[in-house]
Amino acid sequence: MIEDDLRAAFARHETLTPPIGPVRAAIERSVVRRRRRRFRLRLGGTALALVLAALVGVPAFTPNRVEKVPLLSESAPPTPTGALNVLLLGLDAAGPADARRADSILLLHVPADRSRLYVVSLPRDLVVSIPGHGKNKLNSSFFYGLGTPTADLARGYDLTRRVVTQVTGVRIDAGAVLTYRAVRKLTDAVGGVPVCLPTRIRSHHTPRVYPAGCQQLDGAAAVDLLRQRHGMPDATLDRDRNAQRYAAGLLRRVDERGMLTNPVLLAKLLTQVGSDVVTDTGGTPLPALLSVAAQGTDTVPVAVGLPVRYTNEPPYGFQLDPRLAPGFLTALRDDRLGGWTTAHPDLVTKLG
Amino acid sequence: MTYEEFADSRLSALLRYAVMLTGDPHQAQDLVQDTMVRVQLNWRRVARTDSPERYVRRMLTNQYVDWRRGSWARRVLLRGEPDEAVPAPTDHAQSAVDRDQLWSWLSRLPRRQRATLVLRYYEDLPDAEIAEILGCAVGTVRSSISRALATLRAEYVEAC
Repeated sequence: MIEDDLRAAFARHETLTPPIGPVRAAIERSVVRRRRRRFRLRLGGTALALVLAALVGVPAFTPNRVEKVPLLSESAPPTPTGALNVLLLGLDAAGPADARRADSILLLHVPADRSRLYVVSLPRDLVVSIPGHGKNKLNSSFFYGLGTPTADLARGYDLTRRVVTQVTGVRIDAGAVLTYRAVRKLTDAVGGVPVCLPTRIRSHHTPRVYPAGCQQLDGAAAVDLLRQRHGMPDATLDRDRNAQRYAAGLLRRVDERGMLTNPVLLAKLLTQVGSDVVTDTGGTPLPALLSVAAQGTDTVPVAVGLPVRYTNEPPYGFQLDPRLAPGFLTALRDDRLGGWTTAHPDLVTKLG
Repeated sequence: MTYEEFADSRLSALLRYAVMLTGDPHQAQDLVQDTMVRVQLNWRRVARTDSPERYVRRMLTNQYVDWRRGSWARRVLLRGEPDEAVPAPTDHAQSAVDRDQLWSWLSRLPRRQRATLVLRYYEDLPDAEIAEILGCAVGTVRSSISRALATLRAEYVEAC
């Protein structure tokens, strides 16, 4: 009898149940707050872990290595809380050190709410004005920056960063320069990077063939794939899309393996790739920034190319698409890429 | 399943469950909100489990049972203890027919006991599943149900 009364009492009080709408909104609000806080905590934790790794880990793991990760100029606040823009430059052939260009130019945009990650590629053939060197292609800004008599990747990065800032109007908070060797080591250090290709790609440089669909790339395969542009309908733009896919996959791997929250794994990663990645810390080290990026990896990143169109007059190359680029760049500057990409689904690169 | 799909389909059931546990819509909302924030932040882990729904229900139940056992920073008094100084209206002749008296007795039960009653008589779950949600043995579930019922029966006798 008391059991029946209990059932009746419970059923009667169902009317107390609050409406779902406000609860759901409150959950969203507090998730955003918590993500921000977690981001700050993790950033602090990573910085500490990095210091520890630098003090203890690196000497312990590599007794013979004296090289250091070069730190570049331009510092930003150590714990940025707004939107973050990280510039990743992939260099071309491993040829002479003084003739390098940045052929893959990616801007990782982390919105202020850390909800998601945006991978924006800038085409290397975009015609830009390079301070002191007139109009030329974006990839040559790296070359012009290298300087003489000794080429310095940091200076190449610096000039490219200035040009990118000028084109996009966004502040670059941090960045990294990746050579072939760095990409290979980084890929292997995280145990391979998954990418999903829409069509089959045959390597122009090696006998490798990359089937359509998802696959795990090791270091050598990743470098090879990232070089391919021949035989693809959009050539360098298609190559940029593969770079977007690679970057998204790399971030997912780093996040999945918890590499940046575990000091031991972090020290290992640093010793494996540390001296091969040239980073602009902007006050926070690359791994810390990768961990910021990891914040947004709860959801699949959105990859998109800067809207451009081919120009038929010298210097031949791309120019900003007069119809789409202004809106895109405004959205990027105002941290509203989510809305823009939703409004232009056909311009978003398929990652899956 | 994405978090959004989960929230769309299960949020109202979880809210009802939380109302039965706490007996109060505001506390229910706080409880569900606290739990769902953690669910969303850790959605990948939740989604990997066999039954996300059961996993979340377990999270919510634990959260309710442990509510003031959290860290000192989170130890906010969300729920007044039954206030002995201000007794509920004790017109016994009236309360014998007042069925909501039962509702207020429920609030004096230890939380684990109340949770077992809700799972048993509101959610109609078998003992084994209740044991799984509460993380205890089936025997413990049975004894806590019978102890809770005995307490309620005693209240009945007293009230009559």
